[in-house]
Amino acid sequence: MAEPRERQVTRVARALLVGFGLHLKMMTRSSFDGLLGVLWPLFFATIAFFMFRAGASGESLVFASFGAAVMGIWSSTSTSAGSAMQRERWHGTLELLVCAPVHFATVLLPVTVAMSAIGLYSMTATLLLSRFAFGVDLPFEEPFALGLALVVTVVSIGSLGFLLAVSFVRYRTAWALGNLLEYPVWLIAGFLVPLTLLPSWVRPFSWALAPTWGVDAIREAATGASPWPELIACLGLGAAYLAIGIAVLETVLRSARRAGSLALA
Amino acid sequence: MPAVVEAIDLHRTYRTTTGTFRRRSLEVDAVRGVSFAIEEGELFGLLGPNGAGKTTTIKMLITLLIPTSGQARVLGKDVVEDAHWVRERIGYVFGGDRGLYERLSALDNLRYFAELYGVDPRRQRARIGELLELVGLEGREKERVEGYSRGMRQRLHIARGLLHDPPVLFLDEPTIGVDPVGARELRATIAGLKAAGKTVLLTTHYMFEADALCDRIAVVAKGRIVAEGTPRDLKGRVSEGVVVEIEVYGIEDARVESLRAIEGVTSVAVEDRDQAQVVVVQAGAGHEPTHAVLGRLDGVSLGRVTTREPTLEDAYVALVTEQPVAADG
Amino acid sequence: MSVRVFFVGGLLSFRALFSFLRPEVYVPSMLVAPIFQILLFVYIGRSAGIESDEFFVIGNAVQYAAIPCLFAMMFTIAGERFQQTLGYILVSPAPRLPLFLGRAVPVVVNGFFVAAFSLVVGGLIVGIDVPGRSYAPLALATLICAFSCTGLGLVGAGIGLLFREQAVLANIMFGILLLFTGANVPVDELPGWMEAVSNVLPFTHGIDAARRIADGASLSDVFDSLAAELAIGVVSGAVGYLFIRNAERLSRQHATLDRA
Repeated sequence: MAEPRERQVTRVARALLVGFGLHLKMMTRSSFDGLLGVLWPLFFATIAFFMFRAGASGESLVFASFGAAVMGIWSSTSTSAGSAMQRERWHGTLELLVCAPVHFATVLLPVTVAMSAIGLYSMTATLLLSRFAFGVDLPFEEPFALGLALVVTVVSIGSLGFLLAVSFVRYRTAWALGNLLEYPVWLIAGFLVPLTLLPSWVRPFSWALAPTWGVDAIREAATGASPWPELIACLGLGAAYLAIGIAVLETVLRSARRAGSLALA
Repeated sequence: MPAVVEAIDLHRTYRTTTGTFRRRSLEVDAVRGVSFAIEEGELFGLLGPNGAGKTTTIKMLITLLIPTSGQARVLGKDVVEDAHWVRERIGYVFGGDRGLYERLSALDNLRYFAELYGVDPRRQRARIGELLELVGLEGREKERVEGYSRGMRQRLHIARGLLHDPPVLFLDEPTIGVDPVGARELRATIAGLKAAGKTVLLTTHYMFEADALCDRIAVVAKGRIVAEGTPRDLKGRVSEGVVVEIEVYGIEDARVESLRAIEGVTSVAVEDRDQAQVVVVQAGAGHEPTHAVLGRLDGVSLGRVTTREPTLEDAYVALVTEQPVAADG
Repeated sequence: MSVRVFFVGGLLSFRALFSFLRPEVYVPSMLVAPIFQILLFVYIGRSAGIESDEFFVIGNAVQYAAIPCLFAMMFTIAGERFQQTLGYILVSPAPRLPLFLGRAVPVVVNGFFVAAFSLVVGGLIVGIDVPGRSYAPLALATLICAFSCTGLGLVGAGIGLLFREQAVLANIMFGILLLFTGANVPVDELPGWMEAVSNVLPFTHGIDAARRIADGASLSDVFDSLAAELAIGVVSGAVGYLFIRNAERLSRQHATLDRA
């Protein structure tokens, strides 16, 4: 007897939320990694603030502040997501998760979204740095839209992390690949460099990245403009990453069950 | 009454690579044709040494591994075709320190798995409470798992495996590395599961554990079942006959081989005990090999020689060492 | 005896670097990442309207040597501790200084190579103009920077012997070097206290010298900067070495040396 549809939906929703909460709890309890997660983007933000302050261009420190704030969310995701499955394998929990009678995406997505959410600590630190160390007058025009923009950005970046997690599962050196993605996205997603300054052939890549739309939406909401088109683009991309990731996941899991690579030994 | 768990000529081959520069591909036959059937309410044991293929077999049954050939069914459904259906109805518990989230409390771990394994949200709290009490962890559930002893982790594993009240449980070496008192408690809990009507497949390399808990045992060695029956049946296989143990201080393989050739000898094994080695010779009913053995050990430094009746352990050792030591895959 | 210890010790630790040398790790971390760092800051520089492309290419190419120099040095020492050979080395009768110097040489060479590679490739991609006669002096400046950062790496290795979180420490040191050494923020834009710190860190003087060389300065013009850079390398190397020796004594008291 199959479960009624709405019961299935609530079950998935609950699993996502509970999974997110518990993984976030675990990541918050990892002190040293957490420290680096906050400090690392702060170095770059500080450099950027000095540069913009000394610079001759019209780009404001406000532009740089919101951009730098999102850098941490990308860092925490890109560096950890690739090795998400590897970590579960290390814990010995991967088999239990695969054995669970839920779609594996329901298990993995909360993990990567939690990785993105951890980036909110660094975002806060960056904005505090901007406000108090550099005296930037940060606008907060539309709090509700801003909050929504933050949530959508975190979830979409988490979804991109999900895609990374399933794509890199075969690589033992997934962490090296994940690290490699940090700088390029910082460069092309419009955090500190307006898209207009980039060569035109780069722009489609920028547009295919959810963070690009996310940071745009955050800036718009903060300065009182309408973020809705950007939010929809961001969310749409997030959904696309999820769909692709799920397709890749099917092959990955089947292959792992065939090759016996779910356990460590 | 159809069997609850069926293994039908299961085979499983692994391909591994060795070497860093010139990678060579090796094929390892971990399971070479395992078949058995477990009835409802039975506590069935898979007994065998490390590397025998017990864990591989169990993983095929719980949908984690696809068999290279053969079939496996749980509650009538194929484990490969109907993996999701099967997963809803089985519990998996394994031994060792891993398999739990260290930084979370036991309670959080259980809440997480309760959610994933589909326990009704309205029943979760009650169910978790019941299970904590069952395994004797109530009062300690708010502590982080990183502070738990091996025995406590095992008990938490069992609680986790039971969350969704599955009719079939797979326990993979659940008492490994647990102190004797803790292990005894765990065994009592496992026995209780059978009493509650669960069907249980237990793998272990502790022969006395299989003897104490299981209704039936299949002895596994090098990927095959070498004997199957109730503990009594297995003991019966060796109840007649004699075991001669000779302490030696260094013995060559050729000598050991020559002992095997003695008429009536069913198995010869060499064990390391403290300073010396002990040659254990088993002979079938009606034979008395002591003289012949001592004759062939002429010139070897000997210590004590004892003759005794065989035990279940001897049966086990004989079964798992009987296979010729041919090149493993 | 010292010379042999110098070479053999160096070769052995080269293998410890082996994990870095695996192409799937080396290429992304040592060859591709610095190019992206260069591009990132070139564009941020354009976005902010500050300095020139050449400023950022040189600054970041040289600064990125910190990754191989810091990490490799720290992990060589940590690797010895992990294999539990560090205790043996430190109590061995072989003269310690050549042993350590031997271990440092592959690190310096690798650091120089990474910086030179990034400078050339990054320079080509971004399109900067460096006069031909400046190539050799530029290479020298880069080598001296790799040397001085490796000295800092020894200090880091010493600190790392007492704590377990090597990677976190190395990353923080990298960030400090990125911020304080004028790689991206001109030193005179920094507040006074930060400028003071810059002057005693590796890279600050060397990057400045490299930039001036690329603008046409001769070696004699930049001599004092290069000398300062070299001195920083020698001093930090000495400090690091003493630190490691003392860390050894401390650890023997507290038995932390062989903790993985």
